[in-house]
Amino acid sequence: MEKPARYIGCEDGASTDIYKPDATSWLLTYPDTYEIGLPNQGLQILYELLNERHDAFAERSYAPWTDMEAQMRSNDLPLFSVDTHRPAAEFDILAFNLSAELVYTNVLNCIDLAGLAVRASERHDGDPLIGAGGHCAYNPEPLADFIDFFVMGDGEEVIAEITTTVGEWRKSGKPSGSRENVLRALGQIAGVYVPSMYEATYDGAKLTGVQPKHPDVPTSVQKRTVADLADWPYPRNQLVPLTEVVHDRLNVEIFRGCTRGCRFCQAGMITRPVRERPASQVREMISKGLERTGYDEVSLTSLSTADFSNIEEVVTDTIEEPGTCGRVSVALPSLRVDAFTVGVAAQVSRARRTGLTFAPEAGSWRMRQIINKLITEEDLYEAVRSAYSQGWHRMKLYFLTGLPSEMDEDTLAIADLAENCVAIGQQYTKKASVTVSLGGFVPKPHTPFQWFGQNEPAELRRKVDLLRERLRRNKRVHLKWHSPEATTAEGITSRGDRRIGPVIEHVWRQGGTFQEWSEHFDLRLWEEAMSASELDIEWYVDRHRDENEVLPWDHIHAGLHKDFLWQDWQDALAGFGLEDCRWTPCYDCGACTEYGIEHVVASPVPPNGGSQGTGQDLTTGHVVPVDLRPRAAVRGT
Amino acid sequence: MRLRIRFSKMGKVRFVGHRDVARIVERALRRCGVPITYSQGFSPRARMSFGLALPTCYESEAEYLDVPLDPDSIVDGQIACTGWGQGKLHNPQQMQAALSEALPTGFDVVALTVEPKGGRSLQETVVSCGWKFDILGAVTQEVEEAIERALASSEIETERKKKNELVRENIRYGVYDLRMDGESERGPIVVAELSAKPRVIRPSELVDVLAPGAEMGIARRTHQWIEHDGQRQEPLMLSKSLQLKEYS
Ligand code: SF4
Repeated sequence: MEKPARYIGCEDGASTDIYKPDATSWLLTYPDTYEIGLPNQGLQILYELLNERHDAFAERSYAPWTDMEAQMRSNDLPLFSVDTHRPAAEFDILAFNLSAELVYTNVLNCIDLAGLAVRASERHDGDPLIGAGGHCAYNPEPLADFIDFFVMGDGEEVIAEITTTVGEWRKSGKPSGSRENVLRALGQIAGVYVPSMYEATYDGAKLTGVQPKHPDVPTSVQKRTVADLADWPYPRNQLVPLTEVVHDRLNVEIFRGCTRGCRFCQAGMITRPVRERPASQVREMISKGLERTGYDEVSLTSLSTADFSNIEEVVTDTIEEPGTCGRVSVALPSLRVDAFTVGVAAQVSRARRTGLTFAPEAGSWRMRQIINKLITEEDLYEAVRSAYSQGWHRMKLYFLTGLPSEMDEDTLAIADLAENCVAIGQQYTKKASVTVSLGGFVPKPHTPFQWFGQNEPAELRRKVDLLRERLRRNKRVHLKWHSPEATTAEGITSRGDRRIGPVIEHVWRQGGTFQEWSEHFDLRLWEEAMSASELDIEWYVDRHRDENEVLPWDHIHAGLHKDFLWQDWQDALAGFGLEDCRWTPCYDCGACTEYGIEHVVASPVPPNGGSQGTGQDLTTGHVVPVDLRPRAAVRGT
Repeated sequence: MRLRIRFSKMGKVRFVGHRDVARIVERALRRCGVPITYSQGFSPRARMSFGLALPTCYESEAEYLDVPLDPDSIVDGQIACTGWGQGKLHNPQQMQAALSEALPTGFDVVALTVEPKGGRSLQETVVSCGWKFDILGAVTQEVEEAIERALASSEIETERKKKNELVRENIRYGVYDLRMDGESERGPIVVAELSAKPRVIRPSELVDVLAPGAEMGIARRTHQWIEHDGQRQEPLMLSKSLQLKEYS
């Protein structure tokens, strides 16, 4: 068997002896391999919070790799927790973290391995409740047949209410008929969606609505948001795995939410507003965490790390922390180029240099205006120059292709950018190189691009080939791309409705697990499944939606007003940018105004590089010229 | 100067591979503030050298590790800690306890010395290893007979996979000791001393000879032997009073 250490638990930070016979038991399950799932911060936070409670405990499970699954099935072994190897079916709740759509078939496989019916309607009264949360839960409909309850938004607070409700059910002995009642009660907790309490109606192919079946079930489900990250300094005891995993280092979340407003980015839209962790708490989590774990690398995580108000100071303090002997490396994932300055580069490079990734996302300025990633070419070159001048030899640039209104000249502009970056690098080192990582764009729910028809695989393939041909002779630019076929499967599941449920089940029954892994992905399975359900891929994936179409996730609210998103979509097509509301007036997108919360930021001014859309000259520092069209005027046109 | 460390690896952590063990040990060294030294270059790493690699899924009572120390850090035979241990002065026993505490459950430091650097590396000097393993469901009587036959013969023919090819080899030359040592709940227990030169002979190779078709249960390395002035000895002996901790 490959990597048996995946299944033994024993991590430093794991809760042992946590079994509490009268408490509500949660099995937190990540539906991908241990190496991918272990570092997941959301799961670790909930794990720790639940184990601190007297009325709950939590263990963890990860999708067994195919070799282990074969062993388990042939020896009649069920899905188990890595902490104590207790069978999954002994828990009250099996909660899945959904961070990508292509894991959906793994979710079904895990439920099945637990020895439970995959369809919620076929499970028995005493069976565990199957829950799910994470970014993909914002369109729960494709999994509506399989999941008993979804949780929208931050989980820190809502798990307490779920624990209480499920605890009462547990105390009652889960008698016949009680499952329906506990689900009904769960459905009344803010942020919880119980799909079986809702009915989807259609007019031919068209969805006409998803309505509650009972009067006490809310017509729309609102996400949960923790107002202040300072109240939640978790995980306090990050798990330290015995076998190497991705992001194998100390990870400290420095803020949640992002209002840069990139229109393709679901994470940025659904996690608003911005909530910064106080710098002092960040420092403490870093030094305590490094001392406890012995790691020599820390990653400051967020959706756009360089936007943190005190980023340079925090990086400097970390590197100068005496306990690390000056040997700690700081990783800054999700760096915006317009905030990556020589100062930051110099600080980060003082210890070991970590990989550097920038995400211009699109090649041409026109395209970046459409996606509202308003960094200028000069911003990028300046950041790249900072990095090469501080000793880096290579970096990675992230791009999307298949964006709205993208033309071949936009795609080819990616090559120009990459080549110019290499040319800058060559002024500093002969070894300069750039890796271009190209992803096919999949429109996501709750974003301004949710109405956009995705590019077909053939078109994406053509664009990839265009770039390959263009870059063929340049040995210093390496092009990597994601499978255009996989984007189709992702498209089916990301904007699908309840009718996609049987499609996912079909793919799973045909053995289609680990669809995120190219060696296991098979588009034919998805095509067969779609035609078996008499559904049309073109209709679900490639079709543009219009303003009045009922979207499958209309009853789920991330706070964003639908008319705000539609207006932003129209602005996108007109090429108008939108500034970051963190440092400029609010547009009333809804994320704060709907829930009576606000941004929590330490600095009232944007970091170097300026607010979204200013395209400011980096040399002028903190000056933020505003030349965007005011919002009101845009609305009027 | 350097630390020479002997540690055990028991119970579930036997599934942790050799490279991962190195990462785990490095983290523990840093947590304790051991004044380790680093390699030069673009991406400096902590200097450590291990004895013979232990195959994944094997337990051990005798894993060895040399850690070169910053020469200024030894004060009267005590180790002046740095980093997270700044200000602490540990004698070898205290360092042994601190490292055991910092290692995950299942790993324990069972002996530790501070000694001068130099000499050949552990990997070069180990000539043989002691092993203890049980054979799943085998019949004790039959294994006993098989051992007798093997030791009486000049040939112990084994098969192993090498780059997808089956290699047959007579390993009699490297079987220094082979005997029964009772029974576990899984099956008869066998004790062996097997050569580490020119290659490490693994106990799993013997299972087919001793009980054809059967599978090995849990195997444990009990010793790594080196030769010093013509004498066979272990790099670090265990103190007589030490009780090894067992983990399930
Ligand atoms: S409600 Fe206003 S301030 Fe809050 S995220 Fe939306 S636009 Fe920004």
